[in-house]
Amino acid sequence: MTALLDIAGVSKRYGGVLALDGVSFRVDRGRIKGLIGPNGAGKTSLFNCVCGVLRVDGGHIRYAGRDLHGLRPHRRARMGIARTFQTLELFRELTVLENLMVPVDARSPRGMLADALRLPRARFEEHRADERARALLHFLGIADVAGVRGGDLPIGIQRRVELGRALALRPTLLLLDEPAAGLDSRETADLAGVLSRIRERFGTTMLLVDHDMSLVMRVCDDIAVLDYGRLIAEGPPERIREDPTVVRAYLGESAA
Amino acid sequence: MSGAARSRVGLAVVVAAVALLPALESDFQRGLDSDAVIIALLVLSVVVLTGFVGQISFCQYSFAAIGAFTVGALMDGHGWSFWLALPVGVAAAVLTGVLVGIPALRLSGLLLAVLTIAVALFTDRFLLVTGTWDGFSGGAVPWHPERPSLLGAPLTGSYAYYLFVLAILCAAILVVWNLRTGKTGRVLRAVRDSELAAATVGLDVTAWKLAAFGLSAGLAGLAGALLAVRIGSVSPGSYDFLHSVQLTALATVMGVSTIASAPAAAIGTVFGPELLSGISVSSTWFPLLIGGTLIVQLVLVPEGAVVRTRNDIARLSRLLSARRGRDPAVAGASR
Amino acid sequence: MIASLSGFSLLPSYTVIGLTLGGVYALAATGLVLIYRVSGVLNFAHGAVAMFSTFVAYQISVVAGVPSIIGLAAAVATGAALGFAIEFLTIRPLTGRPPLTKVAVTIAWLLVLQTAAGLIWGSTGYHRPVQLVGSNGFTVPLTNVVVGYDQLTIFLVAVGLSLGTSALLRWTSLGVQMRAVADDPQAARLWGIDVDRVSAASWMIGSGMAAVAGVLITPLLNFDTYSLTVLVIDAFTAALIGRLTNLPLTVVGAILLGLVQYYPKAFFSQAGLSELSTFALAIITLAVVFRPGLATSRGRA
Repeated sequence: MTALLDIAGVSKRYGGVLALDGVSFRVDRGRIKGLIGPNGAGKTSLFNCVCGVLRVDGGHIRYAGRDLHGLRPHRRARMGIARTFQTLELFRELTVLENLMVPVDARSPRGMLADALRLPRARFEEHRADERARALLHFLGIADVAGVRGGDLPIGIQRRVELGRALALRPTLLLLDEPAAGLDSRETADLAGVLSRIRERFGTTMLLVDHDMSLVMRVCDDIAVLDYGRLIAEGPPERIREDPTVVRAYLGESAA
Repeated sequence: MSGAARSRVGLAVVVAAVALLPALESDFQRGLDSDAVIIALLVLSVVVLTGFVGQISFCQYSFAAIGAFTVGALMDGHGWSFWLALPVGVAAAVLTGVLVGIPALRLSGLLLAVLTIAVALFTDRFLLVTGTWDGFSGGAVPWHPERPSLLGAPLTGSYAYYLFVLAILCAAILVVWNLRTGKTGRVLRAVRDSELAAATVGLDVTAWKLAAFGLSAGLAGLAGALLAVRIGSVSPGSYDFLHSVQLTALATVMGVSTIASAPAAAIGTVFGPELLSGISVSSTWFPLLIGGTLIVQLVLVPEGAVVRTRNDIARLSRLLSARRGRDPAVAGASR
Repeated sequence: MIASLSGFSLLPSYTVIGLTLGGVYALAATGLVLIYRVSGVLNFAHGAVAMFSTFVAYQISVVAGVPSIIGLAAAVATGAALGFAIEFLTIRPLTGRPPLTKVAVTIAWLLVLQTAAGLIWGSTGYHRPVQLVGSNGFTVPLTNVVVGYDQLTIFLVAVGLSLGTSALLRWTSLGVQMRAVADDPQAARLWGIDVDRVSAASWMIGSGMAAVAGVLITPLLNFDTYSLTVLVIDAFTAALIGRLTNLPLTVVGAILLGLVQYYPKAFFSQAGLSELSTFALAIITLAVVFRPGLATSRGRA
């Protein structure tokens, strides 16, 4: 089975600091891979490289066999790579429903002219985007907040909305950057359930970064561990949990 | 009658009144009315750029000048028909807008504002100056484009021209409203909220911003062309930097996020000075009043006069209907 | 457009004019950058403040016949007062608002000052410029270039004040406080610095400098309400070359601007040429100096 995402020797430098140092691993289709490591290990940098926000200084990132080098973020999104953000980049002024319609809007080829004249095609597509968004909201259990402004919601719901927005892209690869940050244990358990349901229903491949070990261990098929920009371990959850290198890396940083 | 139907009827009544009342006015009055309609179109261009995309521009009149001078040069200098010259003028303005938008993609809002001032001054003091490109600016003799005929009927009368530009304004408002409530509005608001997220959900932020610039400049160019034909003469002084400043200031006072600001600001621009003369104050005080009002508005009413008025009216009507016991569910919600 | 190769002979005297103008631009730009760095606001009314203060000097010196040095002092006082008024009345209440709101406020002030000056002194018509120094001059040895004493004075005063601002920032306690606030206003507040007072000081000093620039430039340009107001774009261009942060570079940029505006005139007799040069320089600066990712907009919460 060819890997959907192939990270090969990726390096990233910020001035004098080496954020990523020759990181290599693969994510197979239909699997949920965890990416963990102490703070500053380079996890978000890696995400930013995969979705095109940052340029890699060395190595390759291949997606479905294709080298992503030079492709701008919106092109990668159209290829099926979606992500959520650690710091929540919701469209705060838009309603929840509108947040989920925007990815569909992005795919739609109709230009401003059809919109401006309210051509039947525009109206049909608008209706379809609306329906798809609502269906997703139902799937995620947040249909009741469809009309609420994004910025007015509690964090837990906001994270759910951002997840829905990523799903609205019908992604093949979903990058989740600390989706459980700010959630309590009940909400995290809910999230774990949602992620499993997503995999079941859509077959989406996922790369999950989080500090909540219960979530990671529960949901991920296998896990890669980063420390100081280097891959220090890779394997199934049970093995990673016991791995002395991993334990040391985490204890090395202040016990938070 | 449902709420939506009621507001549609109300709108129709307003449009009918606006169209029919000037039949009773003098030629001079109707000339001012036409000017108000054209300025509403200009304010609409500000709403598109600033309200939708969040960029501030001080060169809208420069885009208008592109439209005006292109039409003037083609009609008066080369004998083109208005109906051919107009789309060319608007296209030229759109192109200019996209050109100005390109540096805007890399600049913060602040620096973009500086750039638009540079564009405005460049247009005023180089592009349109006699001797630079007289084939475009007309040189020492301003262009004199003539009123066209529409389907055989000449638009030389003040009332006829007024109805013509009013129809164009209504169409423009409808188009902008459709865009705003549809995909374009959503996309632009999303870009405004978070460019990063917008890119990662597949939006080509660059293309959309340039499109917004093009649309804004196109509306301004259209207004410029209509103004040129309304006055019958195209001179650079009517499209200068100070005009752009005043336009943006008044649009901000009314509130740039809403389309309704367009007619409100236009009425203010055209009839404000008239009002001042009426109470024996020189109309040259007008820009000062705009400036003062803008300062007050920014400090006290940031959302703009139109939005504030709308909110106040909405709150008032909720309170009234609650009190009358018509809608008990609202009574608890009214603040 | 008529090109002329004999223009080379004009270069020396155009250098003198260009340097003189550049000096004034440096002064205006330094004031602008000071206000921007310390208070976080790009003052679009900078030129309008200069204009209004200059007209006060005109009223006192040219109309009322008082010695021009007093007129200059009055202009500085007016500039400082206006700067304070703008900061205290309309910028301070807007703390926490997006930077573009503060821009809009300064634009409003532009309208107010522009119109007020027009109402008081008339927006058309000739106004005799304020003459600080007589316009006789001396010849530079070994060349036949004449440098007017007024031009020399303007240049020295302007550049002196600009460089003096750098000295102020480095060696006075107010200057140190200003730099602290410019770097990190929150931290400065925690250190006990009265950020509001320091901001107000920057507005007063910056606007005072604008006033001096306005008075100095009137013999060189058209003296009317509009020309001085749009002086702000020349100040902006110079400030952009200094990346809106670096004062010595701003002075260099301003002098460069003055020369760039005048040199082409030696070869082409085209109206509006200096505007073209300014515009070109501004565009090039924006393209080269300001790239995405650089911290260019310094809005303050």
